[in-house]
Amino acid sequence: MFLEIKDLSVKIENKNILRGLNLNINKGEVHAIMGPNGCGKSTLANVLAGKEDYEILNGKINFKDNDLFDLNIEERAQEGMFLAFQYPVEIPGVNITPFLHSAINSKRKRMNEEEIDNLSFAKLLKSKASDLGINIDMLKRSVNTGFSGGEKKRYEILQMSILNPDLAILDETDSGLDIDALKIVTEGVNKLKTKK
Amino acid sequence: MNIQDNYLKNRKNIFFSQNKDIQNHREKLINIFENDSFDKKNNESLKNINLKNFIDFKYKYLIPEETSVINNNHENIYSIVSVNGQCSSFKDDKIEITKILDEDYNDFSENNTIEKNDHFVNLNSLFLNSGFKIVIKKNNNIKIKISNIVTDDGLTIFQKNNYICEEGSSLNLIEEYENKNNSTSNILNVIKLEKNSQLNHFLIQDNSLNHNLIITSHSSCKKDSHYTQKVYNFSEGYVRNFHYSELIETNSEADLQGIFFLKDNNISNNKTFVSHLAEGCKSNQVYKGILNDRAKATYFSNTHVDQVAQKTEGYQLSKGILLSDNASYFSKPELKIYADDVKCSHGSTIGPIDENAIFYLRSRGMSKIAATKILISSFINEELSSIDDDQMAEIIQKKLVRYLSKVK
Amino acid sequence: MNSETLNTLDTYSKNKYKYGFVTDIDNEKPKKGLDEDTIKFISLKKNEPDWMLEWRLKAFSKWKKMKEPKWANLNFPEIDYQDIYYYSAPKGFEKKPKDLSEVDPKLIETYNKLGIPLEEQKVLAGVAVDVVFDSVSVATTYKGELEKKLGIIFCSIGEAIQKHPDLIKKYLGSVIPAGDHSFSALNSAVFTDGSFVYIPEGVKCPMELSTYFRINAENTGQFERTLIIADKGSYVSYLEGCTAPKRDDNQLHAANVELVALDDAEIKYSTVQNWYPGDEYGKGGIYNFVTKRGLCAGKNSKISWTQVETGSAITWKYPSCILKGDNSIGEFYSVAITNNFQQADTGTKMTHIGKNTKSKIISKGISLGKSQNTYRGEVSFLRKADKARNYTQCDSLLVGNKCGAHTVPYIDSKNNTAVIEHEASTSKINEDQLYYCRQRGLSHEEAVSLIVNGFCKQVLQELPMEFAVEAQKTCIYFS
Repeated sequence: MFLEIKDLSVKIENKNILRGLNLNINKGEVHAIMGPNGCGKSTLANVLAGKEDYEILNGKINFKDNDLFDLNIEERAQEGMFLAFQYPVEIPGVNITPFLHSAINSKRKRMNEEEIDNLSFAKLLKSKASDLGINIDMLKRSVNTGFSGGEKKRYEILQMSILNPDLAILDETDSGLDIDALKIVTEGVNKLKTKK
Repeated sequence: MNIQDNYLKNRKNIFFSQNKDIQNHREKLINIFENDSFDKKNNESLKNINLKNFIDFKYKYLIPEETSVINNNHENIYSIVSVNGQCSSFKDDKIEITKILDEDYNDFSENNTIEKNDHFVNLNSLFLNSGFKIVIKKNNNIKIKISNIVTDDGLTIFQKNNYICEEGSSLNLIEEYENKNNSTSNILNVIKLEKNSQLNHFLIQDNSLNHNLIITSHSSCKKDSHYTQKVYNFSEGYVRNFHYSELIETNSEADLQGIFFLKDNNISNNKTFVSHLAEGCKSNQVYKGILNDRAKATYFSNTHVDQVAQKTEGYQLSKGILLSDNASYFSKPELKIYADDVKCSHGSTIGPIDENAIFYLRSRGMSKIAATKILISSFINEELSSIDDDQMAEIIQKKLVRYLSKVK
Repeated sequence: MNSETLNTLDTYSKNKYKYGFVTDIDNEKPKKGLDEDTIKFISLKKNEPDWMLEWRLKAFSKWKKMKEPKWANLNFPEIDYQDIYYYSAPKGFEKKPKDLSEVDPKLIETYNKLGIPLEEQKVLAGVAVDVVFDSVSVATTYKGELEKKLGIIFCSIGEAIQKHPDLIKKYLGSVIPAGDHSFSALNSAVFTDGSFVYIPEGVKCPMELSTYFRINAENTGQFERTLIIADKGSYVSYLEGCTAPKRDDNQLHAANVELVALDDAEIKYSTVQNWYPGDEYGKGGIYNFVTKRGLCAGKNSKISWTQVETGSAITWKYPSCILKGDNSIGEFYSVAITNNFQQADTGTKMTHIGKNTKSKIISKGISLGKSQNTYRGEVSFLRKADKARNYTQCDSLLVGNKCGAHTVPYIDSKNNTAVIEHEASTSKINEDQLYYCRQRGLSHEEAVSLIVNGFCKQVLQELPMEFAVEAQKTCIYFS
């Protein structure tokens, strides 16, 4: 099993959010989790990514033959988990190039792959950006800083396509997008899927 | 006359001069003055002031003939006329007013956040000759209006007031200072807010040129309590407003706001000092000043966050408008932070009225002077429009109009 | 704070100080302590003219009457001025060596280790370096070329006293009078070496000028003096770097730096200060009491200070600008990082005297461990400073719960056409940002470094290219 969630119960600040959730996902599948506001969609995404604010009351999650709870946030990411955030945080002063470059290399290191050098990475970033219709000028700005809602979402998809994850969790990535941006985002997602 | 002689000569009408402990404490204070052992250069309480005038003064105090009046007109509203710092005793099921006692003497000076170097506080302790204590009883919601009156020329009032808001109580306190005679009031307020209580403290100051007003106050807030202070200073004489606020238990709040309107050779010194000593407390300090002619003002603000005071929010803002070439404004907004989970900020701007805005208004046909006045009003609009007491709002509006009429 | 943040902090605090080695070299010192004889000894060693000795003695008599300034937010034991050596030079330095063949190979090796090669074939391209070891200048690279082709004087201050007495007499002490405060008086009395720069009228200096200071000898104070004069219409960018070996005792460093910019001239002064900060228990480290002041004497002149302060047990430093000339500009960009038991009280002073003068202050403070980090800055507009402008932004970041971050601005306006704007904020490192970075696969440690680096970017980008990379490394403790 690629991802297996068994009887998961989660609490945050004395509020029970998830109660006994079960979910199995096989490789290559696309699942949509739907429900009204506050039903726990983002909670599930954050628990999978390893956010530390949540208290796991019960349950088990297996991901690629690992007990997910044995891994910390970055180890999960390095194992191929990617969360496209609903509200990506602004990080002033940090440029995307060194940021993603160290991200991709830490993943490669874990996989015992050779690190990618500066130049090839810059090329990779540029080509992926132009595939997604992202202006090169946007790459010069600080991560998410001063971006519009749509720009942030596109930026998440760009990072996803670079990091090439095994499991991508898209938390309301479609919300707040206009028609053109939505098209770009869906194409990005489809590309990732067909490649796998 | 030196401080010691001055004190010895007037002992008979100074409070607590029979008490041995207090006597000892006062001797220590006298020593500080006599030995000149205090730091004059970096002393915030002395900026723009000639200390000599305040140390070398002629002591005069008159016990008021008529006892002050308290009026209860059924709607939880109390009017107090405090004459020469005194107020007669009163008691009902909501409030209790008494004289201050020996045991109230030291609760201010032993407090550690207040600088030992504040001479006006020391002078107050030395020459204390008036004051009262008001207790708001549990779960009551009342309003008190105090008119502070000084009867004669040459009086030196050294007054100490205690306010205690018991658990769950709420007090709207409006204090008016409108003195026309040549006198000095040095007032110390010690304010205690018990659990879940609330105090909105308004101070309207409008003294004439010869009256000096020195107010130093200290508030301490217990769990879930909220202290708000709003000072409006229209005085022509010297005014000093120093406030120290301690948030000693969780989720308490302090809002300190001040606006001063200065002209001629007027001087105003202001200070707010907030100590966050518990988790989850909030504070806000906003001071705005308008300075015309040769007026001088200082504003010291200080947010201190103790190591235990996580989840603190502390904001400071100070703004000054200089209307004349010869006005000057000194501001020192300090942050001292020893806890990491905090959100603190301060902002400060000093400058003239925005020329672009003046230009814009003039291009719509307004005269320069009218434009200036409108922009001054808008500078403090936020603070004025937040006054929810209609009567107060009207009083302040009138005083503002009077100030603006002298702006040229 | 979660356990991983704690682990990260732990790694930082144990991070080794890379420059802590000692060069084993014989040195020559006078007796310990400070009196007129010490000053005469220094003056004699430097072969100084009588007027210079007199100048020093005058400063000394002032110092004797002064007390250390006490207003800073710093705690340290009384400095025993009689327990310090005021001069230390590697043996055989009565005269500065003419070229490197005369320099002790151990010294050359020292600077190689520090990444400052002195050999001709290896010198840093585009940067002329003056290296000061304890109390003497060891070598100055590119000196000849600068002087012959452009008339730029770049030499040790000792040499300048000999060769350019007119400039020294005119400008030394003109910006920082000896009697300004006790550390400036002390420095004026006992200063040993430092750099002197003169850029002639209309000359834009084509390369970075740099001084590298190294304290090596034990119980020795370093008192360097730097004087930079930019004549009309000239430009110079200057950088200083500093390191010292690990020692258990505290060592005193009290430098004075004076800058003078005449009409239309510009001076850019950058510092990467990495003196030994003491160990993780607060033992040892440099006491860094530095006075830096620039005078924008001429109209349209500009002085810009950039500093990255990571070292020293105590930093007491306020690079300032006196904006005297009309339309002159002063800038101050600062990153101060304190860790373990370090204490920093640093900031600037912008004094607006002339019309249309402008100043800008960007300060970033980062406190870790049990350190205390204070920004202290004064902006004042004097009566005649019509239309003067200031913008100040100071931000503090707290990493951990045992440190302190403090902001103490003094704002004084006496002119009603001048505008001052001041903003400050203090917060802890943002957990959401950490989470975001780690979700992308960065380790906690990398994520903290990246965010801290981003926090400082506004300042780091002001550093000259050649040093920005190095500073970034020092800054975020990557090794």
